[in-house]
Amino acid sequence: MGGQTLMKRNATAFLKNEYEELVNKNLDWKLRILESGSTPHSIVDGKKVIMFCSNNYLNLSNHPRLIQSAIDAAKKYGAGSGSVRAIAGTMKLHIEVEKKLAKFKRTEAALIYQTGFAANSGLIPQLVGEGDIIISDELNHGSIIDGVRLTKADRAVYKHRDVSELEKVLTDADKKYRRILIITDGVFSMDGDIAPMDKIVEIANEFGAMTYVDDAHGEGVIGPEGRGIGAHFKIEGKIDVEMGTFSKAYGVVGGLIAGSQDLVNFAYNKSRTWLLSGSHPPAVAGAQLAAIDVLETEPQHVKKLWDNTKYFKKELESMGFDIGTSETPITPVIVGESSKAKELSNRLFEEGVFALPIVFPMVARDKARIRTMMNAGHTKEDLDYTLEKFEKLGKNLDII
Amino acid sequence: MTKKIGFIVNPIAGMGGKVGLKGTDGVINKAIKLGAKPIAENKALETLKEFISHFSIQNDLHWFTCAGTMGENELKKAGLTKIDIVYNLKSKKTTAIDTKNACLKFLEKQVDLILFCGGDGTARDIFEVVSNKIPILGIPSGVKMHSGVFGINTNATAKMLHEFVNKRLTIGDAEIMDLDEKLCRKGKWNIRLFGIAKGIVEPTYVQVGKSTFESVTDDEVKDELTEHIKDEIEKNSDYLFLFGSGGTIDYIAKKSKIKNTLLGIDAVYKKKVVESDLNEERILKLLQKYPKVKLILSPIGAQGFILGRGNLQLSPKIIKKIGLDNIIVVSTPAKLSSTPFLRVDTGDKELDHLFAEKEFMMVVIGYRLSRVVKIQTNNF
Repeated sequence: MGGQTLMKRNATAFLKNEYEELVNKNLDWKLRILESGSTPHSIVDGKKVIMFCSNNYLNLSNHPRLIQSAIDAAKKYGAGSGSVRAIAGTMKLHIEVEKKLAKFKRTEAALIYQTGFAANSGLIPQLVGEGDIIISDELNHGSIIDGVRLTKADRAVYKHRDVSELEKVLTDADKKYRRILIITDGVFSMDGDIAPMDKIVEIANEFGAMTYVDDAHGEGVIGPEGRGIGAHFKIEGKIDVEMGTFSKAYGVVGGLIAGSQDLVNFAYNKSRTWLLSGSHPPAVAGAQLAAIDVLETEPQHVKKLWDNTKYFKKELESMGFDIGTSETPITPVIVGESSKAKELSNRLFEEGVFALPIVFPMVARDKARIRTMMNAGHTKEDLDYTLEKFEKLGKNLDII
Repeated sequence: MTKKIGFIVNPIAGMGGKVGLKGTDGVINKAIKLGAKPIAENKALETLKEFISHFSIQNDLHWFTCAGTMGENELKKAGLTKIDIVYNLKSKKTTAIDTKNACLKFLEKQVDLILFCGGDGTARDIFEVVSNKIPILGIPSGVKMHSGVFGINTNATAKMLHEFVNKRLTIGDAEIMDLDEKLCRKGKWNIRLFGIAKGIVEPTYVQVGKSTFESVTDDEVKDELTEHIKDEIEKNSDYLFLFGSGGTIDYIAKKSKIKNTLLGIDAVYKKKVVESDLNEERILKLLQKYPKVKLILSPIGAQGFILGRGNLQLSPKIIKKIGLDNIIVVSTPAKLSSTPFLRVDTGDKELDHLFAEKEFMMVVIGYRLSRVVKIQTNNF
């Protein structure tokens, strides 16, 4: 033995090959670099732009109370938590956030996950298994879809927001399955429309089905004080799992679920994502705590977000843009073919407005769009400047 | 890259309709005597013009066609230039032989797509020559258009052509179906499934991550359906499974290593074929022997029939005995997007009524994935 061994295979060649394939197909992510915070005026790739694609709806990430609370927590408890929650990483601060959140959401209990994705992919596979069925809206977000894939349950989809189709699926599923779980986005991130959660809960109760809503884009945005979809429909505590995130309107990071104490007990004992990742650093928990506090005590942010949204939508519409059926601060500006959406986005960027194009197959071929996300930190001048650019470019590109 | 399109017009297609004939196969003289006017030429021209006006990519296309009324005239009238005449008519009157001969030439020229203007009869003639070697797209102009190769109208066909040329559409199964015209004119009515051609279909997309989608091929979707059916057979080991006809089910059977007849009904028990290409009588006998039966169906043809077209062996008596709850409908999402209803026309009012009452069925569209689809029982 000894001597030269034959090369069996190139262990890592695929890394380069597959990346290059993506680049060739223009499917790789081209990361844009923020040189500022995520602020209404950001510096992106060296250019000063008005930001229309952050999820920082209420501009809370820049709120002095959140920043101060993060600093205080870090100073008091350190930079990291030292462990997963289950072993030695549950700090009093984490519990405080959960209690405050449950109170804010008007539910019995709440649980913080490391991220929204961790909540969905950790919890969904525990709620259902073989012999069960997940019924979901056809337009659900990727992070739900991944959670659903990890289960052995059957799956059925119903037409977007169509409760009568949902009822049909339930009728069929009722005879065949042990547990039934209905999953939907609260606010749909492509169109900005809202799931008819009141009706979904009603029909779910009829059939003894669980309800699970991913309210990532609704938390902090819809309902009184931005308390989310349960509050929006006045059905607080009636949705079995209200899942949300701290990384959008709340301006921090982290996933959350709100519901019964039974749900929370079950969830933290069973979700592998929760059990196996380190808990949030004190600074994160501190900022989360302040975020809820700000929502409770400073209603002006949610109000400003909606004032901005209404003004922006009204003006776009009067210019002749098709802005779809959005009911939220996500306003799609539908332009038609993909190439046009990309062109408009590029030109807007040149003019200092940062809004991303959403193209096929994320939306229908002839419904390519610019998706704008409103921010409570935008001034009227920001909006007027942006609207003026939309109008000018919309005319140049034969959209209006 | 230049795409090669074989273009063929059946100038007499559709002429029987207005004069009350069920097609023009073998009775064109009678149709003309009754005052039938040609319609295919206009339909073909409309489609080509629509294609050109909206989409400025005709330079990338190389057309192969037949002289005169069988394609050349329409292409020239539409203003297309890159045209090769590959076939000349033997006489003034066109027949099925001309269509078939032209298709032989298309095969020789290795065209990427055959665009034809006609009805089920024309589709069948083309299919008999090219089988599933070249995808087929039909401009609807016949009296009967049950086959799954037609656009809904000229506009939609033009759009499909455009999407195909731009590689936005992919290739999938399309059933070739036709009325048995001889039987029909004698008052008997039977839509037969002649075979599975290649048509062009919308690709299926799956979300693979946040904001990223991957397009999956028709075969990949059918692989998922196969896994699903294999599980079903495994789970229900005391059931006899009847495999219906059509491309999707044929694929599933082949992948499950079950010997299947493409156009017929086969019976499978414990993963083995017990009888194949069954007629009504033999199915009824099997039902006596096996009390627990599941029937696998798939929507076929342009209208998405699951019962009543192309599978008349599955008589009302059989369906009632099996029970509606024991029917498993499978379909690729592409197929469902072109036929949003499941159509049922069993010829038995009571049974059609049962389906109508059910209103919808769950259709398996992926591995353990289904969606609800409405049932249509009105006769067409």
